[in-house]
Amino acid sequence: MGTDSTGLSRRSFFGAAAAGVGAVVGAPTLLTACSGGSGTTGNVNSKDLSGVLPNYVPATGGPAPDLPSVAGQATAATDPGFLKYPTDLVKTVSAVPGSGGSYTAITPLWGPIPKANNPYYQAVNKALGASVKVQPADGTNYVKTVPTLVAGGKLPDWIQIPSWWNANVNVGELAISKFADLTDHLAGDKVKKYPNLAAIPTGGWQAGVWQNRMYAIPSFTSQSNFSAVLFYRKDLLAAKGIDPASVTSADTLYALGKELTSASANVWAFDVLWLAIQQIFKVPPVGNPVSAANGKVVSAYDSPELEAALAFAYKLAKSGYVHPDAVAGNEANAKQRFHAGKLLISADGPGAWNGPDAVAGLAVSPKYVRGAFPVFSHDGSTPTIALSASSGILSYLNKKLSPAQIDECLAIANYLAAPYGSAEYTLINYGVEGVDWTRGDTGPVYTTQGTKEANQMTYQFLCSYRNIATNPGHDDVTQAAHTWAADAVKHAYKPAFWNMNVNPPSRFASTSTGTQVNDIIKEVTFGKKTVAEFKAAAANWKSAGGQQLLDWHQKEVVDKFGTGQ
Amino acid sequence: MTTVEPHLPVAVVAPEPSDPKDTVTKPIRRKLDWRVRLRHDRTLVLMTLPAIALVVAFNYLPMFGTVTAFQYYDYIAGFWASPMAGLGNFQLLFGDPAFWHALENTLVLSLVQLVLYFPIPIALALLLNSVLDSRIRSTIQAITYLPHFFGWVIVVALFQQMLGGAGVLNHLLRSHGLSPWNIMTDPGAFKYLVASQAVWKEAGWGIIVFLAAIAAIDNTLYEAAAADGAGPWRRLWHITLPGMRGVIVLLLVLRLGNALSVGFEQFFIQRYAVGSSAAEVLDTYSYMYGVVANNYGLGAAAGLFKGVVSLLLILAANKLAHALGEDGLYRSNG
Repeated sequence: MGTDSTGLSRRSFFGAAAAGVGAVVGAPTLLTACSGGSGTTGNVNSKDLSGVLPNYVPATGGPAPDLPSVAGQATAATDPGFLKYPTDLVKTVSAVPGSGGSYTAITPLWGPIPKANNPYYQAVNKALGASVKVQPADGTNYVKTVPTLVAGGKLPDWIQIPSWWNANVNVGELAISKFADLTDHLAGDKVKKYPNLAAIPTGGWQAGVWQNRMYAIPSFTSQSNFSAVLFYRKDLLAAKGIDPASVTSADTLYALGKELTSASANVWAFDVLWLAIQQIFKVPPVGNPVSAANGKVVSAYDSPELEAALAFAYKLAKSGYVHPDAVAGNEANAKQRFHAGKLLISADGPGAWNGPDAVAGLAVSPKYVRGAFPVFSHDGSTPTIALSASSGILSYLNKKLSPAQIDECLAIANYLAAPYGSAEYTLINYGVEGVDWTRGDTGPVYTTQGTKEANQMTYQFLCSYRNIATNPGHDDVTQAAHTWAADAVKHAYKPAFWNMNVNPPSRFASTSTGTQVNDIIKEVTFGKKTVAEFKAAAANWKSAGGQQLLDWHQKEVVDKFGTGQ
Repeated sequence: MTTVEPHLPVAVVAPEPSDPKDTVTKPIRRKLDWRVRLRHDRTLVLMTLPAIALVVAFNYLPMFGTVTAFQYYDYIAGFWASPMAGLGNFQLLFGDPAFWHALENTLVLSLVQLVLYFPIPIALALLLNSVLDSRIRSTIQAITYLPHFFGWVIVVALFQQMLGGAGVLNHLLRSHGLSPWNIMTDPGAFKYLVASQAVWKEAGWGIIVFLAAIAAIDNTLYEAAAADGAGPWRRLWHITLPGMRGVIVLLLVLRLGNALSVGFEQFFIQRYAVGSSAAEVLDTYSYMYGVVANNYGLGAAAGLFKGVVSLLLILAANKLAHALGEDGLYRSNG
């Protein structure tokens, strides 16, 4: 169940975290922009980061994607899709990357924590030639874990911090004071020493730049990180003879809710749909309270789109078409309700659409098929969909490591970033053949042990190859998701401060999280607070420091560097 | 202190010659030299040392953290480098209507729980005590204990399955053509809902201490009363309840001292189901606006406020207990 104001984005990620390997990773809604303050002055990256970022050198060789990347608007492009796993597993890293070093690593995990020192960990460490002790921590409480580790002086050698919590844990300040500066190891052509890292698209690295220095190693970099997809039960809607294409506006969606809900049969139309409603109503991402329009900084809470979206969300919550357990805040069972057909339309991150989801759904509903409505807008006009930062999963190295140790860790990261279909990729994502996976018709199939150990995101959260779409055994899923994304990228836009990593002064550390207002937004979407109460909270936020935060953004960010769009 | 514990070797203390007044007129019941007492009780003192160490390590040392209530605490800079805020956090706290609302909710929920929850374990203990067959008694005990070991997440999920909009109760109502009532998302019913959850989860566990109190009552009193013709109700009223009074008052004092701690998880889990207007308590307020909002100073100020008020409450309740002639937390010297 929700634990923080950014619970929405965390939930969208949940799908990705629980997802099988290589599934389209759900992008967090929050921008990496706007972190809590470093010192008293605050700062932002320059527009021109050449000389800081690594040069991009795409991977060569390897299997050609069955579903090549489709380019869209605003540099958005779908992730390449693969249908058939190669049988000839090519090695991309010739030497053993590690030199016997020992490192501790902490990553969040939204799923069951694998046993310590399990055979999968042992096999990976053996291949790495180093001991990387991954200690997955509960993802739900991770926003509390990081400050505790820092305050207690227990930061590990390597730690992952999801970028949607940048403001909540002051990553801008944390990076500079506690994490290793990787610029001199990777900038420009230096990255060529690590060919697999060089194949990570530039946007992912950009998401980890603070004060014009590069600190983070990205995972699952993508040019189509979206925060929400409006899903439906394709099999059940088809059985009722409903054409999903008929849903082209907020009104038609609402009408469908009435048609699908049958409380006496224990079936409701909707989950809480707030994630998708924001897209439908063209709301600027509200995870960051600061937005901009036409070169002028505005409060994201003041947008008329947000007000309209909230009014609709409130109406839905009160309509009786939303599953009662969903309105009761029970998010933990949201997927089960969808799988069991107790609700037919839900909003989730794109990462929810993957092989393991198909397996789980088919286990309870033999005809289970997940479908998604193509993006549409509330009034039937041309839709838009906001891009999230190019990577939401960023890992950092401890400043205490020596340059030689940093080099060793980067060599390990290079191994972890091996491209799809390689021997290294297979080991990291599927584990040991015969123990964690077996060969199926279209690719590796996890064993029970593999599901518990290799299929959980551990090493992948320290570094990974760019995001790709593949679901061996469930090619229909890969294809459908790719079709959806190919349409969505055509409507993509970069929201204000996209990939910019703004770091406001420390006096705004709390204001920039916008927790109070985001909390009330969530309550409105559950029908527990009114839109008027939200507006009062938004006004209160502005007078209690918010306006000063906006002014600072105007003067120090937009006037100097633009809005990043 | 003028009394001496009866088991101490009072008689061996020799009157001090330097103080002739005492030697003749006063009884020997007086304070022993602390060294003598320490030597006498050294085994007991040694046995408590680990517990004291535990309390020091986990209760007293962390009190240093309250310094953050007076700082604009930045967890990266730490205690020493964070700028001082003076009373700034308290000004912010007391000026925040959400805080007063959380305080009000906490007090109301606490009171409702006191009234609805507190008597139930006592009644259960009395009932159970009247069951003579020890097998039936221990079976009932085991069953009523069990929910104590469930986490709140499971308890709330169970209640949702039963009372939620898609749960058993509403399914039944619908199938009989009645209008459903989603108790789980009804802010008005929330205080009774949480009290009933607490009863379901903890009442069985709560009877342990009362059963022990009943067991300590001298059986001859019952025999004498029965011989004098007292029926079961009179025995309950004149023997059992007075026998339990000390424990009941002690627990009541503790409960009042904890009036501002109604729990965190139970309310946090159900926060969006009924909305913060009904479910926000001081602890969830501290978490949301302190930890999540990256405003640790404010969260610590709310926590310190709670601590100070709780201390005052517990002292007042203890005083009241003494006034009623009970021991309360410790025996009064007055």
